[in-house]
Amino acid sequence: MQHIAKLSSLFVCCALGMSTQVLAKDTVFVGHLADMSGPTAFVGKNYADGVRDSLAYINANGGIKGTTLEYETIDYAYKVPQAIASYKKWHSRKKMVAMQGWGTADTEALISFVAKDKVPVFSASYSGHLTDPTGKNPHTKKPAPYNFFYGASYSDACRGLVQWAAQDWQDKAGKGKPKFTHIGANHPFPNAPKEACAEYATELGFDVQPAVVVSMKPGDFKAQCLSLKSSGSNYGYIGNLGGSVLSLVKSCNTVGTDIQFMSNIWGGDKKIFSAAGEGIKDYVFPTMTPFWTDDVPGMKLVREISKQSDESGTEERVHHYIRGVCSTFFMKEAMEWAKDNGGITGENIKKGMYAHKNWVPKGLDGVCLAANWTDEDHRGINQVNIYKGNYNGGDITVEKVSQVTLDRRDDWLGY
Amino acid sequence: MSSLTMRPCGDFRTSYKQDNTIFETSTIRNIAIIAIALLCAAPYLVDAYYLTLFIQISYLGIAALGLNILVGYTGQISLGHGAFFGFGAFASAWMNVSFGIPVVFCIPLAGFLTMGVGMVFGLPASRIKGLYLAIATLAAQFILEDFFARADWFSGGSAGSSADPISLFGFAFDTDESFFYVALFALVFMYIWGCNLMRSREGRAFIAVRDHYLSAEIMGIKLNKYRLLSFGVSSFYAGIGGALYAHYLGYVSAEGFTLFMSIQFLAMIIIGGLGSVKGTLMGVVFMVFLPEVLEGGVGLMKMTEWGNIPMVVDGLAYIKEMAIGLVIILFLIFEPEGMAHRWAQIKNYWKFYPFSY
Repeated sequence: MQHIAKLSSLFVCCALGMSTQVLAKDTVFVGHLADMSGPTAFVGKNYADGVRDSLAYINANGGIKGTTLEYETIDYAYKVPQAIASYKKWHSRKKMVAMQGWGTADTEALISFVAKDKVPVFSASYSGHLTDPTGKNPHTKKPAPYNFFYGASYSDACRGLVQWAAQDWQDKAGKGKPKFTHIGANHPFPNAPKEACAEYATELGFDVQPAVVVSMKPGDFKAQCLSLKSSGSNYGYIGNLGGSVLSLVKSCNTVGTDIQFMSNIWGGDKKIFSAAGEGIKDYVFPTMTPFWTDDVPGMKLVREISKQSDESGTEERVHHYIRGVCSTFFMKEAMEWAKDNGGITGENIKKGMYAHKNWVPKGLDGVCLAANWTDEDHRGINQVNIYKGNYNGGDITVEKVSQVTLDRRDDWLGY
Repeated sequence: MSSLTMRPCGDFRTSYKQDNTIFETSTIRNIAIIAIALLCAAPYLVDAYYLTLFIQISYLGIAALGLNILVGYTGQISLGHGAFFGFGAFASAWMNVSFGIPVVFCIPLAGFLTMGVGMVFGLPASRIKGLYLAIATLAAQFILEDFFARADWFSGGSAGSSADPISLFGFAFDTDESFFYVALFALVFMYIWGCNLMRSREGRAFIAVRDHYLSAEIMGIKLNKYRLLSFGVSSFYAGIGGALYAHYLGYVSAEGFTLFMSIQFLAMIIIGGLGSVKGTLMGVVFMVFLPEVLEGGVGLMKMTEWGNIPMVVDGLAYIKEMAIGLVIILFLIFEPEGMAHRWAQIKNYWKFYPFSY
């Protein structure tokens, strides 16, 4: 009998756990997938905090013109099955109107579902192939009509860096063709800009070297650094993030390579610089937002938002956090447009994304770059801010070195 | 369902027909038929969340059964099952996109392609065994993973490849409700096939190889042939599971088929019960539902006033991850023979109730 009682209570618990209540207020549901305990948690946590704090802030300040956002954050630990199950749960039970997503894994797994269900997804995966909503470019394998992201795509950011490097080589009066190497794991995320970037680098007169494969997991990368040294690469694009970048910088510092590192957007922030230490010298990385300490009008709102989870306001957020804020606020304003134009549905939010030109969310001037989405071109941002980080024996400095605006070339759409 | 493990005393079978039956009693057969009939009505009764979980159970379950045939029935080991699963997914999408073969045919063809690949990687099995074989199959995992990321012509490289939904006579199975029937059919078909295989000449040979390879060889069983065949069958199942996964998602990315997935398949069959067809299914159900139930627990916490603060919610995410690990350890300690064994014990308890010896 005891066994049966145990078993039945277990079943009741399961049933309770898997069912959820439905609220009957003026609310719309927004799902939020985050990776706070998986392999990309290093930056995923910061970005997720930005999204979550923004959602809480929006609710605390009137919601979407009176409509409250009901939201749920699920830490899917970068596991595709969990992402799909969460998505299905939200879609079928909560009538989700929009979703804040995270990385390559969940975004790509959900592309066809969200297109069919008409749920706009705002991801933090900036793969170039998400920018072609209609499949105009023959390169595009699968059009992604309901995918949006705030920022330049990985390919565009890399192109911006290459453009900066070409200028830098001229300024330094370097002799001959500069050598360019892609450094990263053989994985969809580091590989995303590989070809597009190499093509552009060749166009600008670089001598593109064979890519150097560096594991996503931290390790001893002296062998890779030695091959960078022996090939005499002048510029290296780092496609990895987190601990792997740390190891790479440290190893190359030991080996003594003379290479100008340029990282992707996730591979450079103050946390990494302080952890990597002396190896960080003129480390170049792109950003889409200013830094926490910068004095721009919009930062006031960002600091207010940050107080949602840090009441004292003392925590210094990295730029990934601020990007999360921008992503959420673009969604918020598209929802406001939708509410005025037929109600908050996925379809109307998508239309709302196209309603504004040179669009900066209210109160975030100077924080979010002006964006232009059109129904044929989801490259919202085509501007790349390039920064340089230095360790300086513990006194970390980050200075802006350049701002590159890229052409909206047709052959770059979705690639 | 039939099993060729040792039978308890008193369980006599007097004809080949009895010995060969898939369902042990007619009651079990009837229950199975009723259960399937009930499942057919599921799309009208439950929402897409449960359907998607069932679809997950289906494609993972098919692949896990393949691994159980290899590990549980033939006594080999494979650490590359996740990569074979991925190969099936890419192969099916590739054949569909590149050659325009209808998806319905692509899925079995992908199974056969994966079978070929699996047999190539299974070749070392004819010479080595145990831990050495485990490491040799680990190579399959890494080689295939790298292949997915590089072979643009096959997998689309880092951009991944798209897969069309299954369509039959103009009807596209592109919703959860319709794909559910595909998943159900595939699951039932492949599991009956698995049961059938185990009562055939090949199945008995697999078990003989597992139980004592030397005696098996003396009895005239070609060890190499059956070890290789087992790798082939196991990869075939993985390929079918992977192909279903691809056409369900509509998109395959090289990122998902990691070593972790292979380990998870192993965990499923160990929890469910090695060398048991129904145990495989139990293990898969367990592994699919566990994170969801724990997620639901986290959800319940979040609904309370004191629970919905980031510190608690983030903490719970870690607890959830740890709990999955903990449950697996507890299973291995208290139920090393898997859920199938526990199920048999419960059944026996009721069979002999109230006079259990």
